[in-house]
Amino acid sequence: MSGLVVSGLRKSFGSLEIIKGVNLSIAKGERHAVIGPNGAGKSTLFHLITGRFPASAGKIMLDGADITGKSAHDIFRAGLARSFQVTSLFPKLSVFENLRCGAMRTHGAGMSVLRLLSGYRALAEQTEATMEALGLAHRRDVQAGSLAYAEQRALEIGVAIAGGAHTILLDEPTAGMSRAETERAVSLIRKVTEGRTLVMIEHDLGVVFDLADRISVLADGQVIASGPPAEVRGHPAVRSAYLGTAAEVLA
Amino acid sequence: MRRWVPWIVAAIVMLILPHVFAGGFGLSLLNRMAIAIVFALSFNMLLGQGGMLDFGHAIMLGFGGFLAMHAMRLAGLGWYVPTPLLPLVGAAGGFAMALLTGWIATRRDRTAFAMITLGLAELVVAVVLMFPSLFGGEEGINGDRSDGPKLLGFDFGTQGQAYHVLAFWAWLCALLMWRYTLTPLGRLANAVRDNAERVGFLGYDPARVRFRVYVLSGLFAGIAGGMQAINDEIMTSVNIGSEASGAVLLMTFIGGIGTFWGPVLGAVLIVLLQVALGTVTDAWQLYSGLLFVSMVVWAPGGLSGILLAHAPVVRAGRLGRLLPDYARLVPGFVLTLAGVAALSELGFRLEAIRGGASAGRVLGLPIVATEAWPWLVATALFLTGALLLRRTFPAARAAWQEAAQ
Repeated sequence: MSGLVVSGLRKSFGSLEIIKGVNLSIAKGERHAVIGPNGAGKSTLFHLITGRFPASAGKIMLDGADITGKSAHDIFRAGLARSFQVTSLFPKLSVFENLRCGAMRTHGAGMSVLRLLSGYRALAEQTEATMEALGLAHRRDVQAGSLAYAEQRALEIGVAIAGGAHTILLDEPTAGMSRAETERAVSLIRKVTEGRTLVMIEHDLGVVFDLADRISVLADGQVIASGPPAEVRGHPAVRSAYLGTAAEVLA
Repeated sequence: MRRWVPWIVAAIVMLILPHVFAGGFGLSLLNRMAIAIVFALSFNMLLGQGGMLDFGHAIMLGFGGFLAMHAMRLAGLGWYVPTPLLPLVGAAGGFAMALLTGWIATRRDRTAFAMITLGLAELVVAVVLMFPSLFGGEEGINGDRSDGPKLLGFDFGTQGQAYHVLAFWAWLCALLMWRYTLTPLGRLANAVRDNAERVGFLGYDPARVRFRVYVLSGLFAGIAGGMQAINDEIMTSVNIGSEASGAVLLMTFIGGIGTFWGPVLGAVLIVLLQVALGTVTDAWQLYSGLLFVSMVVWAPGGLSGILLAHAPVVRAGRLGRLLPDYARLVPGFVLTLAGVAALSELGFRLEAIRGGASAGRVLGLPIVATEAWPWLVATALFLTGALLLRRTFPAARAAWQEAAQ
């Protein structure tokens, strides 16, 4: 089956089991949100899918290919790219160079020392287009480390999507943003992930219900509910997991 | 077309230089600079561009140099590698050594990488001393670059002829290393330096990026080794050891690791210091050490960093505004320098006198280390200078900040 399928995924650190048998099925082209209380294991789940940590047990399939236990760079080559919750850019490189690094591999620029980067025309054009879409064209030659926070977050998403991966995982793309910045980020995500599979971790439930086709709720290392927003909203297990502030949004 | 201008200018300058410094002293200075430039640039491929602090970079230069030396000696056996091509033999040696050591070292980064290179360097030096038949033990191996048949009438025996060979290689290597910064691997090296983990999530294995950069850097260090074999006509275990590795770190950092051309500045300056100060005082290593420490503490961008910080000021045509405030720094700077120099020379001379030497002179000044007053004067010079610097520096910095905006 196409899309991203996670089955029986487990991860332990020492004797502590963080992910306790997660099953997830995300169809091609779907926008899927993973929500859940702090410490539920959302980021760990992302790290397992993207090859940052090896899983203790279980299987991860991307478009029918087994990517379990593969390295991060092999998983990227299989068409899956990700962003990070804590901004992870190349601080001394310019905005343009950050985005170009994100797209190099897809354009066949290996680790060559013979061809010049400027010779990869399509790479440069696509990088300019990505920069335009992110609204960062006016910051083209600014070092990523000197950008404003919201700009860095936009670039963080940009580096993830620059390579044209068909499946994008965004880890809390709107973390730390103001209301206005969040709205801009949501429309940006909507625009740049058009036609791709999107999986995102998000705390802002307004964003989740606005953007997601389907939602999975992770609590204590397990998926306790998965389905369209309307269905998840009324799920009793979700309500009990979300006791407190977020319950009002669910209501 | 405009980006070729610096290279053409450099080539012309390099052709004129031997006519300006035509003496044996001047030429040997230029030859040392040519070697140091290639070595420092290759070192900065790792440190400045790739974020890899290599504590044993001289093993690549040294191994390349030894291999080139053996190739040079072939002339006596009827075989023959033309002298101008010996740096290519050096390249092969540096490349081979980098393959061997890089295979282990580049699996890790940062502190772990630095420590592995330190260990490997010690290992290589131990091996070199263990095989005197290949590396000549403590005495090293020597040869004669003019042994082979003449090439177009040149036997490369004179320093002037050797200079032209070395200058050509220095120019070519600098050009190739600059070109490398514009290739995919060159950019990936920067990315791995800034954030290796993210590179992994963009489809490249950061360890393989490091490995390739390391091997390429080793190749250029090997060329520098081949150049050194041509120039010195001898290679010893000193050329491969930690002192040589330390020297390249020193000159690269002083020149500035943040720009491509910084290491060139550093190489030229340190060779000048070595040779120029070496004729004046025996304590020259102390001075380059002090310069290094001052740079690390007060100007981590090195000389090129200082120059670069003034680029916007020059472009805005405001350099003139800075001069009065900068001029006020000069007395404090001179006094501090005089104090530091006096203290260094006194200390150095005191140790020498203990060892049986007599009181000496530096720049015509007697160094009387056994009496109290020179020490008091030196300390007073240093303290006055330091105080003056402290008082004048904030104004100079403020002036720069204002002008740079």
